[in-house]
Amino acid sequence: MKINRRNILSMLGMTPALLAGASAEAQQAKPHAQPGKASAGHAKVEGLNPKGTPPAIQLIPMAPRLGSLDGKTVYLIDTGFPGGGLLLLEIQGWFKRNMPSVNTVFKRKAGPYAEDDPELWKEIKDKGHAAIMAIGH
Amino acid sequence: MEKLGVPTTPLVTRAFKDLAILNVAKRGMPHERITFTPHPVYGKPPEQLRAYVEGNDPVSGKPMMKEIVDALTVPLTDEEKKTGMVRVASGPAKFGPDTPANLQQYYHDNGMTDYLPIIVPTEEAVAEMLAGTSHKPDEPVGKMAAAAGAYPPWEYTVKQVAINAVMAGCRPEYFPVLLAMASSGQTSLSSSTNSFASAAIINGPIRDKLQMNYGIGALGPFAQPNATIGRAWLLISKNLANGGIPGDTYMGSLGNNLNYNNLIIAENEAASPWAPFHVQKGFKAEENVVSLFRGLGIVPGQGARFTSTDTPKYEEQFSDLFNVFTGLFGGLVVADPLIAQSLKERGYDTKEKLIDWLHKNTVQSVKDYKGRNFANGFDYPRALKGLEPYATWYKMPDDAMIPHWPRASDINIVVTGGQTNAFFQSANLSYSVSISIDKWM
Repeated sequence: MKINRRNILSMLGMTPALLAGASAEAQQAKPHAQPGKASAGHAKVEGLNPKGTPPAIQLIPMAPRLGSLDGKTVYLIDTGFPGGGLLLLEIQGWFKRNMPSVNTVFKRKAGPYAEDDPELWKEIKDKGHAAIMAIGH
Repeated sequence: MEKLGVPTTPLVTRAFKDLAILNVAKRGMPHERITFTPHPVYGKPPEQLRAYVEGNDPVSGKPMMKEIVDALTVPLTDEEKKTGMVRVASGPAKFGPDTPANLQQYYHDNGMTDYLPIIVPTEEAVAEMLAGTSHKPDEPVGKMAAAAGAYPPWEYTVKQVAINAVMAGCRPEYFPVLLAMASSGQTSLSSSTNSFASAAIINGPIRDKLQMNYGIGALGPFAQPNATIGRAWLLISKNLANGGIPGDTYMGSLGNNLNYNNLIIAENEAASPWAPFHVQKGFKAEENVVSLFRGLGIVPGQGARFTSTDTPKYEEQFSDLFNVFTGLFGGLVVADPLIAQSLKERGYDTKEKLIDWLHKNTVQSVKDYKGRNFANGFDYPRALKGLEPYATWYKMPDDAMIPHWPRASDINIVVTGGQTNAFFQSANLSYSVSISIDKWM
């Protein structure tokens, strides 16, 4: 499945197969069209949809962008996924070599992967201008 | 962070592309500016990681650092500023009409099955299933996420659970068990790269009413309720929670064969010398209860040390296997009644006494503990928050000895099996909740 991000909301709203079906990585069979071509001589029946009810999506506007990172403080947040911290340190090194006017702050988020860290979020809001959050192994 | 007004870019490895794109959309930010790196980053030397940073985003094909800088600086588009609600559909109420064979193939092709034959859930078959409970078809049962905390939960009614019960091959009298399980909101799958497994212990008179197997081959494919209740839990987790979509809501690298119909354990209460599991959890013996577990899987006890001694010390065998388990999940011993009876004869007259011994005697060095993969990902960040015992453990010297699990309650025992031999299996599974089945009759 090729995901078109421009159309993703309409896809979520109109195409249940996207939610129930295959992904590019999984290489599953593509969903068939709605059945309806029964062979002659076989009794036809209807099957009920076993899917649950998804929640409506509240759209959240993104934060205004900065225009430039010059003189700004960018937080590099290690969420704890193995290897993520080391990758962020390399990004920190890249900023020092290529955009020395950018101040970077490396932080390990407290709490397991998906758990919020309100203290760190407050620190970033108070002292930072932008954030890069490493997710994945 | 975006909600707080801080422009942010998630930096995600390539393997999680679909998951990341779909999940930010489900959470209301469909145009979140995600930057991708090659996968994996774990275990790569610094020079390799530097090459990633100086190379291209493997999804966009553009320089990765330019993607990051642009994500934080390029002004928002009108679409990125949008607010409002978007309704999401999960398809039509019915499929067909068509032949049962064609419909079955349709369910398979749309990821709604475990790819084994199903019973097509016709209106008539679902009505029969609904007769297994006094609850109304449109009554809400609960909410379930594909992985708790990671995805928005979906909702479902009694009828939606019934549809999945039919597909799995359940009989109507099994239905209250499924409703109790579904009401927990606990998926049997989760999405972790670890490939999680799940288990359910069923206690009370309903085991005999449903003719569940807790004798010979209790964990095997030898009884319809054991097989189909577990299978229905999988279908519920896939269909009602939108779980089990590889690359989107399922990322288990190897997968787990237990997911097909889960580990369903009817306790052999009559042959056990100890209190049944549900009584341990505060229920009355005559109540019908299902208790849920999640974790990584189960291993045979025959690999433990001391199995050939004349006077088996089963507690030491349990402990031996526990030592190789991750502390991320607890330990569940599934013991044949012969083992339970032997342990009682040796002084362990309650499960609690045995659990206490296991907790005190299954220990590890702080050095070994810190070296375990899960400790860095889960316990160390808890230690950073000051949570105990992790905060203390991380301050202790490397040669200090600490328990394998923080609490004795991380260890559980259940008795089942046909007493053909004194064997056990040991599972790396954590207890989560016990639910009354009677409330769903």
